[in-house]
Amino acid sequence: MELTGSHSLTQPPETVWRALFDPEVLARAIPGCETLAQTSDDAFAATVKLKIGPVSARFKGEVELADKEPPFACTLSGKGSGGIAGFAKGAARVTLAPEGTGTVLSYTAEAALGGKLAALGSRLIQATAAKLADEFFTRFADVLNETTTTATTD
Amino acid sequence: MTQRFAPDRPAHIGQPHLRRNALRHLAGRGAYVSDLALPRMVHAAFLRSPMAHGRITALDLDEARAAPGVIAVYSAADLNPMCQGWTGVLSHFAGMTSPAQSILADQEVLWVGHPVAMVIARTRAEAEDACEKILLDIDDLPAVAGFAPALDPDMPAAAEASASNLCFRAELKTEGAAAAFDGAALVVEGEWRFGRHTAVTLEPRAVVADYDPASGQLTVHHGTQTPFQFQDVYARQFGLPDNRVRVISPDVGGSFGMKLHLYHEEMATVAASLKLHRPVRFVADRLESFTSDIHARDHKVKARMALDGQGQVLAMEVLDRTLIGPYSTYPRTSVAEGNQVIRLMGAPYAMPDYHGVLEVLFQNKVQTSQYRAVGHPIAVQVTEALIDLAAEKLGLDPFEMRARNVVADDAYPCASATGYRFEKLSHQESLRRLRALMDYDGLRAEQAALREKGIHRGIGLATFVEITNPGAAFYGVGGARISAQDGAVVRLTPGGEAHCAISVTEQGQGTETIIAQIVADQLGLTPDQVKVVTGDTDATPSGGATWACRGAGIGGETALRAGRKLAEQLCRIAGAILQAAPESLALRGGAVVDAATGAERLALAELARIATYRPDTLPEGTDNSLSVAQHFAPQGYPFGFTNGVQAAWVEVDTETGLVKLLKHWVVEDCGRIINPLLVDEQIRGGVVQGLGAALYEECLYDDAGQLLNGSLADYLVPMAGEMPDILIGHVETPTEDTILGAKGVGEAGTAAAGAAVMNAVNDALRPFGARLCQTPMTPARILAALGIGPTERDETWN
Amino acid sequence: MKQALELQVNGEAVALMVEPRQTLADVLRDSLRLTGTHLGCEMGVCGACLVLLDGKPVHGCLTLAVQAQGCAVTTVEGLDASGEIADLQAEFHARNALQCGYCTPGMLMTAQALLKRGAVPDRAEIREALSGNFCRCTGYEAIVDAIAATAAKRGAA
Repeated sequence: MELTGSHSLTQPPETVWRALFDPEVLARAIPGCETLAQTSDDAFAATVKLKIGPVSARFKGEVELADKEPPFACTLSGKGSGGIAGFAKGAARVTLAPEGTGTVLSYTAEAALGGKLAALGSRLIQATAAKLADEFFTRFADVLNETTTTATTD
Repeated sequence: MTQRFAPDRPAHIGQPHLRRNALRHLAGRGAYVSDLALPRMVHAAFLRSPMAHGRITALDLDEARAAPGVIAVYSAADLNPMCQGWTGVLSHFAGMTSPAQSILADQEVLWVGHPVAMVIARTRAEAEDACEKILLDIDDLPAVAGFAPALDPDMPAAAEASASNLCFRAELKTEGAAAAFDGAALVVEGEWRFGRHTAVTLEPRAVVADYDPASGQLTVHHGTQTPFQFQDVYARQFGLPDNRVRVISPDVGGSFGMKLHLYHEEMATVAASLKLHRPVRFVADRLESFTSDIHARDHKVKARMALDGQGQVLAMEVLDRTLIGPYSTYPRTSVAEGNQVIRLMGAPYAMPDYHGVLEVLFQNKVQTSQYRAVGHPIAVQVTEALIDLAAEKLGLDPFEMRARNVVADDAYPCASATGYRFEKLSHQESLRRLRALMDYDGLRAEQAALREKGIHRGIGLATFVEITNPGAAFYGVGGARISAQDGAVVRLTPGGEAHCAISVTEQGQGTETIIAQIVADQLGLTPDQVKVVTGDTDATPSGGATWACRGAGIGGETALRAGRKLAEQLCRIAGAILQAAPESLALRGGAVVDAATGAERLALAELARIATYRPDTLPEGTDNSLSVAQHFAPQGYPFGFTNGVQAAWVEVDTETGLVKLLKHWVVEDCGRIINPLLVDEQIRGGVVQGLGAALYEECLYDDAGQLLNGSLADYLVPMAGEMPDILIGHVETPTEDTILGAKGVGEAGTAAAGAAVMNAVNDALRPFGARLCQTPMTPARILAALGIGPTERDETWN
Repeated sequence: MKQALELQVNGEAVALMVEPRQTLADVLRDSLRLTGTHLGCEMGVCGACLVLLDGKPVHGCLTLAVQAQGCAVTTVEGLDASGEIADLQAEFHARNALQCGYCTPGMLMTAQALLKRGAVPDRAEIREALSGNFCRCTGYEAIVDAIAATAAKRGAA
């Protein structure tokens, strides 16, 4: 399954880039994120609770950032195990392009499901994944706006 | 022969006797294994592999063991050493190979759904909760999922223990096969794809294993067709004497072949009970059924047919490739279906030559194996599609084409080019009956008139041959401990009624009813006076039970012979009481009568009273036995073949691709009909399963071997609204191998329904030059054939 | 945490403690041992678990037991005992409109609900009404026949 999308952000690429690597920002932006910890410069461990179709599961997984071209592009890949629900894995190529004083963030992502999630959720995965991606970037933008606003008033 | 079945006997055989056991179900009093609750009973749930192929790198059960309600958590290390392990190969399939199996996945997982760990808890919910707490890490290995990877020589095998993905190869060839094609006036050919589907019994697989260490007795309540087979399997696998293993199969909520295979979960449940000394229950949920019940079909067939200028079939050439699972299923193997496909090709036709090749391939999906009509739908669909293609090329009507080619009714006994021996079939008569039954000519006129209005209807025909009454040639000769014989104990009760304990089993076909009818006729009783007991290895003699359409033919003959044996014994006792020659007596109307005059001499109740309570009054030396035992195994033809022909009348909406089933006809010859009501309902149910496979049902997988439609919301089954009325006609050609003359009927409907519908759809689409050659024929595939939407074969073709 | 549940089942008052996640079908089958209600798909598509909740057919697998608080539940055992479907049962029997019997209680629930609407349904309407009841054994025709025959007799009465 492939997903693509783009979002306009008011911050310049450098700010967005830093936020992409900020565990606090990510923890607030990732839908259903319960815990997120940086395990190395480019890796995070996360626990995320999601409902896909009739199956809800708590995923324990890792997210890695690779092929970095700061501050314009990187690849995020992750795999999460959802216990008896199965697993989800995916990778997204994220690019940041300046647009005026802001940034256009675009992504092309591929995701796959396994086990119960695939058997019961396949029909709904496209819609669910699109919704989750949209939710992530909307929250990411909100968090970014908040933190940058806080920063300027400081 | 003096023992021939005499229809002038007071006959309940042949009558539409009602099923007494249906009344329990109508009152909600069915007794299924899934209903069973025993003292001390605990519940099992499994943690299963979410990956199609991989290596287990971590399995931590500690947190699950501490979870609420949990009694035990087992991994392969705990359970696998308790049993011998099993391998699904048989020696008559020369050269076949399959990896050994054991209870739980040990290091390597081989399909999505492969059980890795077992949790036993006070409730199923608690067991499932605890499964959540098991830590399982698996490293992905390449998954073989589809024909392309299975045939790729560079692809690793589906299981590390296999040398390659080829499980079995077989070839059948007559001497003249190549020459027949060289000299043919016409050769038609094609390639067909048969999707994977599954049994979807409404009651899922269910087992309650109950080991009592005090008596050393293992009792397994098991929703299966074949209790004796499982008695043998559990005894051997767990090293118990077989008389200390009792398998009880009460009401079974559908089986259709699916519940006679050995499954990991059932073995684990028995093992857990042996460990815990208490009853352990496992009932699959619907998703578990989709990922652990056997699937069927998954074939790709390339075939051609050679004909002469008059439309006589000269030969067929067939390559059948089938994808099974990572293992061949135990104990019947996963190659039997393909074996039947290549042997049933062209079976109704006088076809002198044949060349067939079968390749059975491993892959990382749940195992395939025997499900209703094993192989038949594939052979029939390919053969009948080629016959229609040839008829079209030759400008012959499909009925005429078949009438020219079927083996003539007076040409028996004969053998097929594939080696099957036929005692007596009735293709010509069946075709004649069908033509009248469906008003073929009227239907063709209606079809033509509707074409003018842009309504596209089609008529499809499919002749078929069905394998029934198998002897030991089926599995026994290959070393399988699968009984080809059956046994019955028939007794007169002290009250003068009858009791028959027989090894064939009931899953709703009406086995108990027909056995009662048969026994009643031998003893001069009514069927209601005969109580029939089935499905308990402690209560009946050992036998093969119900599969491959053998219940009526073999079980019925067993009951008939047992009934006659008891009748003779009762006449001996009566002779002693009445001081008459036993040969001068007969049993009729619940009494011993004078055979010549029919005059009543002694009520059976009185005979039973004397023999039971006052044996002292019998002349000295009289054997007062009121029970007899009888076993029977077919000894004539290796299989009892039946035949028939089906027709479908459909309408295709060329804008939506939807197929409307308007009507369906079946003319069938199952030999002696014991109960027409039950036979007709067997045929109808079989047809509907065939229609499901033809139009709706498919287990869909992605390239990684993930099942994508594991629920009844996503896997479509035939429902009442889509199904047509089904008209049935009969020809009765009894087998002379038995006194009863009955053959099987359970698979006839499924064997040819799909072929008839595919031919009908293609008939409807003929003006468009479109042709379907893949099942299920989904709307998307029909539109693709019409050039609407993607024209490439869809991914499930591979 | 278990909670108290009080309801009427087949005319009898029942009080028991249930977990909030327990379905009505599970409570009927496991706690009350009314095993005539069957489970086939656990997602409301096969119809094997249909029961009447205050007279209306509901899926026992999709209804939480606690939702039945204070309600009257009728299962196939109740319909059988009351005699109100005796004619329907007799027609099913006469036509052999069942084989394994696992779908039968749900079929009877749907049929009775359809017949209670009053009008005499034709075969197409009967087939449509059964669109949520899966039967793997019969081919449906005998079931349709049995319901049609009952409808005709009730209509004439």
